[in-house]
Amino acid sequence: MLRIFHNTKFEFVKHWRMAAGLTIAFIVAGLVTFGITGGVNYGIEFTGGTLMQVQFKQAPDVAVVRSTLDKAGITGSEIQQYGTNTEYTIRARDEKQVEAQAAGAEGISKSIASALDQQFGAGNVTIVRTEAVGPKVGSELRSGAFTAMIIASLFTLIYLAIRFDWRFGAAAVLSTAHDILVTFAFIKMFNIEVSLTVVAAILTLLGYSANDTIIIFDRVREDLKKRIKGESLAKVLDRAINETLPRSIMTHATTLASTLALLFIAGEVIRPFAMVMAFGVFVATFSSIYVAGPLLLWIESKYPRTSSDSTSRAVNAGNDNSGDTRSRKAERLAAR
Amino acid sequence: MANLKYRILLIVGLFAASAWALFPRTVVERVKRDGVFVYDTVRRVPLKRGLDLQGGMHLTLEVDESKQAVANKSEALDRALKVVRQRIDEFGVSEPVVQKAGTERIIVELPGIDDAERAQDVVQKSAFLEFQITDKTQAFEKVMPRFDEIAKNAGLSTASQAKASGDTTKKVGVTSLLTQKSDSSKDSTGKAVATTGADSAATTPAAVTGGLFSSSVQAGQIPGQYIVPEASYAAIERALALPAIQGAMPPGKVMRWGVDSLVSGTQRFFALYVLDSRPIITGEVLTDARPSTDPVEGNVVQFTLNNEGARRFKVETGKHVKDNMAIVLDQRVVTAPVLNSAIGRNGQITLGGGTLQSAQDLALVLRAGALPVPLKVAEVRSIGASLGADSINKGALSLAVAFLLIVVILVGYYRFSGMLAVAALVLYLVYTLAVLAGFNAVLTLPGLAGFVLSIGIAVDANVLIFERIREELDHGKSNRLAIDEGFRHALSAIVDTSATTILSGMVLYQYGTGPVRGFAVTLIAGLVASLFTAIFVSKTFFMIWLSRTRGNQTLSI
Repeated sequence: MLRIFHNTKFEFVKHWRMAAGLTIAFIVAGLVTFGITGGVNYGIEFTGGTLMQVQFKQAPDVAVVRSTLDKAGITGSEIQQYGTNTEYTIRARDEKQVEAQAAGAEGISKSIASALDQQFGAGNVTIVRTEAVGPKVGSELRSGAFTAMIIASLFTLIYLAIRFDWRFGAAAVLSTAHDILVTFAFIKMFNIEVSLTVVAAILTLLGYSANDTIIIFDRVREDLKKRIKGESLAKVLDRAINETLPRSIMTHATTLASTLALLFIAGEVIRPFAMVMAFGVFVATFSSIYVAGPLLLWIESKYPRTSSDSTSRAVNAGNDNSGDTRSRKAERLAAR
Repeated sequence: MANLKYRILLIVGLFAASAWALFPRTVVERVKRDGVFVYDTVRRVPLKRGLDLQGGMHLTLEVDESKQAVANKSEALDRALKVVRQRIDEFGVSEPVVQKAGTERIIVELPGIDDAERAQDVVQKSAFLEFQITDKTQAFEKVMPRFDEIAKNAGLSTASQAKASGDTTKKVGVTSLLTQKSDSSKDSTGKAVATTGADSAATTPAAVTGGLFSSSVQAGQIPGQYIVPEASYAAIERALALPAIQGAMPPGKVMRWGVDSLVSGTQRFFALYVLDSRPIITGEVLTDARPSTDPVEGNVVQFTLNNEGARRFKVETGKHVKDNMAIVLDQRVVTAPVLNSAIGRNGQITLGGGTLQSAQDLALVLRAGALPVPLKVAEVRSIGASLGADSINKGALSLAVAFLLIVVILVGYYRFSGMLAVAALVLYLVYTLAVLAGFNAVLTLPGLAGFVLSIGIAVDANVLIFERIREELDHGKSNRLAIDEGFRHALSAIVDTSATTILSGMVLYQYGTGPVRGFAVTLIAGLVASLFTAIFVSKTFFMIWLSRTRGNQTLSI
């Protein structure tokens, strides 16, 4: 039987200060880049604007492309090489420019196409993809995704509060929120464009990270009832994390394998999604060990379980299907 | 063992149903052959590919309130939806989507369309058709001084008018130009406007005296038609929109621009028509419209009227023999031929040099009827078919690679049990795709990426169970007991994670829009399939293994 991290006895929780320092430094770095470069780099489906992917017969001079667009009145557009050296994306995201087009959102793409045709000759430029979005649609999409995320977190909190204990729920939701924050910092630092696919990645991550935390907490709940007398909660946490370590490594490995396949093979459109997910796998691993546990300890210290009630409720909740609690209960009853 | 038999039966049954649901089947579909759409039988896997995977065009339309105030938008959109759908059907796209999104927008999806601009024109054209007699009472000349005064007060009497005085020398040229239809430029007026500013700035000398209208508007070739040089076009268009001018219009008359601009030498001119405001008939009485090619007139659209329309048309045209009748589409004059005699049921619209395709498109929009409100494009995406095919190939390749990597990890680490997990994973893939096909979910590129990712996540439940079985074996339990306990103990973690994920999925579905919703459906479908395969299917596999081994054999896990 091949085994990794079997019967480990790492003391994870002890290092919470270092972990907190690391994660806060990362978030601060993200905030600083946010302060310097300003704003989130939203994709055009959120801001409104025009994106065109064009393919030239021969590799063009980017300066010529830019001057052509400037002449056509499309100023300040981003021109980016994309894949091979004959493929470029052109982004015009100035909202006022978009609004000014009487024809609506698609006006700019038409003028870009005709300007390029004039400069390079018809047939030498192929428009592979066009996206033109009015600003109103984008803002609705943005607020829709945001509301959905907040409400989904609330539901998770309520579910965990019922199934475990509100302390577990709060710790899990806060650690998930931490993951999202750190991921935003990552997105900001690497200037990844927040498109709908990236939103999908963040939503996937939200679920993935919460799952990871819940699985460890589930083990904590189970270990709590096997608690040796006088054993601190920190010790129980460490034990639970160590016990679930092989599982964590395996499941993160398979997820990472899928993510890397996407990152290297699936192409440019999926790359931002895969990048965010790849980073997210590491963050989720990190946070379920170093963030969720210490957060739980911190909440417990602030709001200690006064009556044995809540603890036993937390313990019992996990044992709906477990035969040995019942037998243990029976033992306890018999001992009385 | 009866229990085991039923389990196997259920798994095999579901697999057969899924395979059947995903089996390519022959359907009759409108497909493109050599540039034309024909009905034909094709074999298709019943999984709908999104536009980003097959190429095509996505349009979001909304009511253009800058052109017309609309009281009840939702109701107007319902009516517009019908018209757009009918036009798309006639346009001949395979599997188009035309639906209302919320109360504000219409979404149109046209798979496989490569001429995006043409499709857009067909969808968006308002197609409000009117037949109006041109004015022959010189009503415009009578109100011209009044118009000039208003324009002057509004500050519109400068800049462009000087141009006109210079143009008077070209008067002869212009009028002769008008008589030759074939000279009319195909450029749409809209495009011409864009260049107006630059031209007038470059060539305008100092302003001369005289009003905006009297100095730049000249009488055209036919009664009620006037010619405006390009330089004055913008100013006059703005002046005509002034409420004061609207109020000073000659009673019972309206002014409309022509569809095309006319070119004489380096100069461009626009036609302005004064028409009887009451149309003799409108497009409502039209029953059919067909494109046709006339040896003299070029491409034309022939139309047929219903009984009531034909009667009215005959009476009205009879009253106006030798007058000019303007054919007005979306408030622009397409053509204004002389009525030589009364016209009854059939008539034709001359396009004056338009292509056969534009005749076809005009016939198409006339047939399908007019939009009740003008629509503008709020969003357009078009993806080339080759890019779509490329995306599918890359997506499929990354799916295969991801699957292989996971097989290596699982079998390498869990050996025999890993193989069971892989078998469960294959079932997971088939079940999930079948569920998606059953829900008519559309497979998009992000969806495909999510699916690839999900195979990495789906094995989590199996990993949880296997690790637990290992722990139980460590405690010295027998194979049978360890497997039982492993499944039982892993269950609470699996239930909790799945429940929170499903909850989130449901919330995303409820509050998310468009693509976020699609994500939620895939999430839930994948999760249900993975729960079933990880818990039920792999448990069954273990049960089969247990029933075939004698207790003391070691479990390869």
